[in-house]
Amino acid sequence: MALKALDIYKLLPKKNCKECGEPTCLTFAMKLASGKVKPEDCPYLDENVREILGASTRPPVQRVKLGVGERSFAVGDEIVQFRHEKTFFHEPGIMTAVSDLMDPDSIQAVVADVRDHLLVRIGLDLRLNGIAVWSASGSPDAFATAVEAVEAVAELPEVLMAEDPAVQEAGLAVCGNYRPLIHAATGDQYREMCALAVKHGCPLAIRAPDLDALAGLSGLCTAEGVSHLVLDLTSPSLHDMLNQATAVRQQAITRTAPALGYPVFLDTRPCGLPDAALICGVLKYGSVLVADPLSEASRKALLVLRQNIYTDPQKPIQITPGIYRVGSPGPDAPVLLTVNFSLTYFTLQGYLEASGTDSFMLIVDTEGLSVLTSVAAGKLSETLVRDSLKEFAVPDLVKHRTLIIPGYAAPLSGKIEDETGWKVLVGPRDAADIAEFLEKEWT
Amino acid sequence: MTISTLSDWTGEVGTVTIGATKADGGTRSGTVTIGGERDLAFIGNPPTGNRPLIAYELCDDPSLWPAPVIRFLGDRASDPAEWARFAAGEYRPDLIRLYLTSTRKRGFSAFAAITTTVENILQATGLPLIIEGSNDPELDSEVFRRIGEAGEGERLLIGTAEAGRYRSIAASAMAFGHLVIAQSPIDINLAKQLNILLREIGLPHDRIVIDPYTGALGYGFEYSYSVMERIRTAALKGDDDLAMPMISSAIDSLTVKEVREADPSASDRTSVAWELYAMLPATVAGASIVCVRHPSTIQPLKAAIEALWSPPGGGA
Ligand code: B12
Ligand code: SF4
Repeated sequence: MALKALDIYKLLPKKNCKECGEPTCLTFAMKLASGKVKPEDCPYLDENVREILGASTRPPVQRVKLGVGERSFAVGDEIVQFRHEKTFFHEPGIMTAVSDLMDPDSIQAVVADVRDHLLVRIGLDLRLNGIAVWSASGSPDAFATAVEAVEAVAELPEVLMAEDPAVQEAGLAVCGNYRPLIHAATGDQYREMCALAVKHGCPLAIRAPDLDALAGLSGLCTAEGVSHLVLDLTSPSLHDMLNQATAVRQQAITRTAPALGYPVFLDTRPCGLPDAALICGVLKYGSVLVADPLSEASRKALLVLRQNIYTDPQKPIQITPGIYRVGSPGPDAPVLLTVNFSLTYFTLQGYLEASGTDSFMLIVDTEGLSVLTSVAAGKLSETLVRDSLKEFAVPDLVKHRTLIIPGYAAPLSGKIEDETGWKVLVGPRDAADIAEFLEKEWT
Repeated sequence: MTISTLSDWTGEVGTVTIGATKADGGTRSGTVTIGGERDLAFIGNPPTGNRPLIAYELCDDPSLWPAPVIRFLGDRASDPAEWARFAAGEYRPDLIRLYLTSTRKRGFSAFAAITTTVENILQATGLPLIIEGSNDPELDSEVFRRIGEAGEGERLLIGTAEAGRYRSIAASAMAFGHLVIAQSPIDINLAKQLNILLREIGLPHDRIVIDPYTGALGYGFEYSYSVMERIRTAALKGDDDLAMPMISSAIDSLTVKEVREADPSASDRTSVAWELYAMLPATVAGASIVCVRHPSTIQPLKAAIEALWSPPGGGA
């Protein structure tokens, strides 16, 4: 049962020392009650109190970890229904499906692709997460062989999809130590599946015909000692998946049905619209998504959508202001001004690298706003440019006094010249045109 | 106990009807109605309000249009009427959205051509129409008068009004019986302010569609998605100045780096993916009209919207 803010307050040290980042112990208590801060943020809680608070303020959606090692990932631990209320914390893991009817070579080709595929965007590595092994044959041996084929290629998180406990056991015998997700316990065989989950220390997906039955099953499984559950809401109807996932999140966040306070599993295959199902899963509360291999175009769009939805809406991804080098620029190299929004920085940097011109990038602090946005908001100003030139000692780096500014900052060019004494060259609006521009204007 | 979604909303999104048939004084073969939701998008059995619709975007000066679309269409892109006929006939969008991009060229003065283009489009298709005029205050008054007049009685949705320039558009809409798109840059308060301004000059709320501005996937979409969710929930909580249906168009989708630099053999697929992965989320966030430019995006987007909309078995 969740504690109320006042009950929590009674347990706090009442020092009002602000070290937790909150103005008073009372505000800290209020935020703790709504899951917005963690007990560990207050350094003065004794072990006992911390434990009480930890248990009673457990996030409304249980945290569950899949896999081991570098590619393992955690899901759950979410506290809001809408990302604008705070943020979404743990992006869904996307699991590529293989079946035990495929020959080992084809399985391994898929696995190697998931292992190696990488999209680097805004300086972050975006990847698919793991493999779902599907028992299509119903044979324990075939399932074990398929799991072995996966294991031989990569240590990726896995979902073992076999509802027959004997088949599941055969798969777990191969990879049970690597914390695969067991899929799935149902009303008929949950005791056996729970026993397997306890034995191997694995998370367990559960399936039931409707949400009431699912809540009941969740209670039965926790009573069997399995607390790392995942709720399977797969349906051939996209409408049902969206409605049920929304209901589960609402019930969990409001703690109306704590038995549904677990991450959601969605197999996107039965509805026949893989892109649409993946999109809905990313937007509306999917945590483990199973999909057939995707085209390169879909895969890219999916990874970018997931990155978009799981970035903090209050805080753009930023880089530290300063001087950044492209290649090994000397005292005659051009200096290009831009803002500290990561997307802007990496876009410009990519095109500068491609241009082959060694150069300096002067990144000024616009609080993470893009060029056009910061110009519109008045955050990019001549005084900021003047101060940044000085702060980062740019005059000591180059012999010349010419600054290249973004095309969208053109309205500021005169003011920057007046304020800094540097000559301003207005660059193109689109960073893609930078190579041509430098070739023409920088000799 | 039956566990379902928790819906304690008190407000409702207003409805807007676009297009007019012969019976209402127009020439459209049908009309469309958007809005009317009393819950989040697609929630409920059946969902509340009206199914989100797809507008297919085209223009009268293809030199300002994304390359993948022009490559796909070939010669058709040089004649907006032919383009509209082709898209409406083969791909079945719910509406056509014409951008008068010719007005965006420096020194534009061919005002008579606007009248002709709008008339031609009206003849080319029976679908309800969205017409986008100039975005230069100097031209607005004449351009919007022409559009309004050419489409009189057709209940067009015309755009785009912004905080700095909305009078000419609103005047044309009021004089000729049209509807207005009100755009603000990804900000719920600015969206609300603009709606109030429009109301104050006499444009009723049921003649406004909100455009909260949509950044392309990977290029601002994360902000647009949330601002749409915020506008929708504000309406459901009873804020009448935000209770209009929304239109979403990620107009930069087909010029972003990922699409521009896609291998030519994957250009169409990448275009479709970039539009689909922004526009389906826009419907989930609450948009009533979503817009695409690549004809091949229409079918998968439509199938997805239908699958999200229909409860299994088609009933409660
Ligand atoms: C996402 C977004 C936001 C986000 C902020 C995102 C961020 N971190 O900046 C939010 C929602 C917060 C926002 C807010 C606002 N926004 Co805004 N926003 C956008 C949007 C959709 C995308 C911006 C983006 O991410 N661009 C991508 C990056 C990579 O672009 P970039 O930094 O400009 O970099 C490019 C070039 O400049 C060039 N480049 C970069 N550096 C350099 C350097 C050199 C030397 C060279 C040569 C080239 C170069 O290369 C890059 C790629 O080509 C744009 C629309 C658009 N299409 O740009 C509107 C837009 C910029 N916003 C706009 C406005 C008006 C605002 C607000 C002022 C509105 C308000 N609320 O008052 C606020 C201001 C912010 C504030 N007060 O806090 C307007 C600006 C209008 C104008 N032309 O002046 C735009 C164009 C939307 C519109 N059409 O109405 N915005
Ligand atoms: S750190 Fe602890 S003692 Fe200090 S104000 Fe925060 S809650 Fe109170």
